Amino acid sequence: MNFKSMLLGAIAGTVVLVSGQAMADTSGKTIALSNNYAGNSWRQAMLESWGKVAYQAVQDGVVAGADAFTTSENQATEQAAQIQNMILQGYDAIVLNAASPTAINGAVKEACDAGIIVVSFDGIVTEPCAWRIAVDFKQMGRDQVKYLEQRYPDGGNLLEIRGLAGVFVDDEISAGIHEQVESTKFDIVGSVHGDWAQDVAQKAVAGILPSLPEVKAIVTQGGDGYGAAQAFEAAGRPTPTIIMGNRRDELQWWKEQKDANGYETTSLSIAPGVSTLGFWVAQQILDGKEVPKDLTVPFLRVDQDTLEEILAETPVGSVANVEYALEDAQKLIQSAK
Amino acid sequence: MNMNSNNTRVENPKRGASHLLGVFSRKPWIWAFLAAGATYLATLVVVSTSAGAGSLLYAALTFASFSIIVGVGQMFVVTLGPGNVDLSIPATMTLAATLSLKFMASDPTMIVPGLLIAIGVGLACGLFNFALIMLLRIPPIIATLSASFLFQSLAIWSNRGLRIKPPASLADFATGGTFGLPNAAWVALLVSVLAWCVLEKTIAGRWISASGQNTRAARLGGVPVNAVRFGVYVGCAVLAGLAGFVLASFSGGANLNMGTEYMLMSIAVVVIGGSSIAGGNSNVPGIWGAALFMFLIVSMLNSYGLGAGVRLMLTGLIIVSVVVLASKRGRKV
Repeated sequence: MNFKSMLLGAIAGTVVLVSGQAMADTSGKTIALSNNYAGNSWRQAMLESWGKVAYQAVQDGVVAGADAFTTSENQATEQAAQIQNMILQGYDAIVLNAASPTAINGAVKEACDAGIIVVSFDGIVTEPCAWRIAVDFKQMGRDQVKYLEQRYPDGGNLLEIRGLAGVFVDDEISAGIHEQVESTKFDIVGSVHGDWAQDVAQKAVAGILPSLPEVKAIVTQGGDGYGAAQAFEAAGRPTPTIIMGNRRDELQWWKEQKDANGYETTSLSIAPGVSTLGFWVAQQILDGKEVPKDLTVPFLRVDQDTLEEILAETPVGSVANVEYALEDAQKLIQSAK
Repeated sequence: MNMNSNNTRVENPKRGASHLLGVFSRKPWIWAFLAAGATYLATLVVVSTSAGAGSLLYAALTFASFSIIVGVGQMFVVTLGPGNVDLSIPATMTLAATLSLKFMASDPTMIVPGLLIAIGVGLACGLFNFALIMLLRIPPIIATLSASFLFQSLAIWSNRGLRIKPPASLADFATGGTFGLPNAAWVALLVSVLAWCVLEKTIAGRWISASGQNTRAARLGGVPVNAVRFGVYVGCAVLAGLAGFVLASFSGGANLNMGTEYMLMSIAVVVIGGSSIAGGNSNVPGIWGAALFMFLIVSMLNSYGLGAGVRLMLTGLIIVSVVVLASKRGRKV
C-alpha cells in the first residue's frame, strides 16, 4: 500500500514536471464553450467564472482564444447546430454543458471526427469519444442523509424537496437519498417538487405542510432551502434542519439563524466554476496529456465553521463559487487514473 | 320577481331543480369553485388538525393571488378573440421584478418609486407588444413570444441573475396578512374588483366583449377596436409587472426563472374559470376558483404522497374534466 502510493506520487511528480515543460504547446489553440442555458443565477456565475479564467489564460498566452457561446433556448437541436458552427469555425476544443445526454451525440461525434477535443461537464454527453466531468448526484443525496444521521442518530421524519420531475438529475439525487435512508431510522413523510427554485419550493412546501407531522429535517436538491424555511416560518412551525444548496440567500438565512439561536446545518452543491475545470481539462488534453474519459466533479461544501468565510466571498444574490486552477485539474486527472 | 320564482319552486319541485341547474349553467365559474372545494375537502382527510385546515386555506389564498393577478390580465387578452394570448407574461414579471428590486436596493424609502418602476416596466412591455401586433401586423402569439425573449434577455443583462432582497417593510407586507386574509390576496381582490367593474359596468368592458365576439361587427358598430386592443395588451402587461413585484417581494427577491410557471398558469386559470377560450365571454370570479383549485390540487396529490408521474397525470385529467364540465353546461343554455 505504502509502496503503491509512493509510486503514484512519483508518477504524479513526473507528470507535473512534464506538464511544466509542455505548457507552451497550447498557445496557438482555441477553446470554445458551448452552453445550453443561461436563465438562472448558477448559470450566470458559471459563465462569469469561465470569462474570468479564460480571459486570464488568453492574456497569459496559455491559449489563443476561449470564447463562450450560449443558445437562446434550452434545446438540443439548437445546441447541435451551434456545435456544427464551432466545427466550421475551426476550434481545437469544445467544452460543453449539454442540453441532453444523448440528443447531441451526433454533433459531438462530428466534432471528434474533425479532430476536435470535446469535454462535457455538468450536463454530460454519452458519446464515447467525448470526455465527461460528471457530478455524482447520487453521492450528493447520500451525503445529506449521512450528515443528518450524525446529527440525529435516533432518526425522525424527513421532508424531501425534489427538483424538476422527469429530469435525470432529480431522479439521481432522490435515489441517493432513498438508498441511504434505508439503512437509517429516518422516515420520509412527504415529498414535493420545488423545481430548484425558491418560490416554487415555498409554494409546494406551504401546500403539503398542514398534512405533515413534526418534521425533523429537510433534504433538498439546491436552490430550495430558503423557500422551505420561509414556508415553515409562515405556518408558524418550528424550523427543521434544512440542508442548503450554497445559494447566497440560503447561507445568509443560515448565518442569521446561527447568530440568533445556534442553528446548525450543512450545505453542498456543485460550484458553477466547474466550467473552468472543463477549460483546464481541455487544455491538458490539447497539451497531449493522457486524461481518463470519466472524471468526477468535487462538491463544494459549506460547514458550520466555514460559513462566515464563504458567505463573505459570495456576491449578493449569487451562489458560492470557486474557480479552479490548472493544478486542480491536474490533481483531478491524477486521482481518476 | 324573487317571490315569484320561490313560489314556482314550492309548487313544482322538479321545475325548481331545473331552475337551479339553470342558474348554475349560466355561471360557468361555479365549476371551478366546486372543484376547488372538493379538492380542499379531499386534502382535509389527511390533514389532522383544525389549525392545519386553516393554514392550508391561508396558503392557498396566498399563492393563488399571484395566479389571479396575471390571470385577470390574461383573461382580458383572451376575451379579444381567437389567436389573442399574451405569452410574454413570465418575462414581463421577471423584468419588472428585477428592475424594481434592483432600483430599491433594499431601501425602504424607495418602495413607492419601486412600485412605479414595476408598473412602468409593465407599461413599456405592453406598448412594445402592442406595437409589434398592430404596427408590424405580427400575430399576437408570435409577437408576445418573441418579445418575451427580449424582456428576458434585458432582465438577464440588467442584473445577471443576482437576487436582491426587497426592503424589509415591503417583504413584511407581502408575506403578512390583514383581517385574517393574506395581503397578497387583498391586492388580488382589489385587482379583481376593478377588473369586474370595468368588464361588467363600463362601456369599455362592453367594447372588449364585443370585439371578442365579432371584431368586424364591432368595428362596423363603432367600437374603437384598436384602442380596445391597446388598452387590453397594455393592461395585461401592467398586471404582470404588478404580479412580478408582489411575488418578488413575497419570495425574497427576483429570480430569472420566477415567471416560468405563470405562462401556463395564467391561461389555465382563465379556461378553468369558465371564460371562453374563443373569446367574447369572460368572468372574473371563476379565476379565483380556478387559481385556488390549481394550488389545492397539487397540495392534495402531494399530501397523498403520490409519485410525480401519477401526480402530473391526475392534474391533467382533473383539469380536463373541469373544463369539459364547465363548457358543456355553458353550451346547453
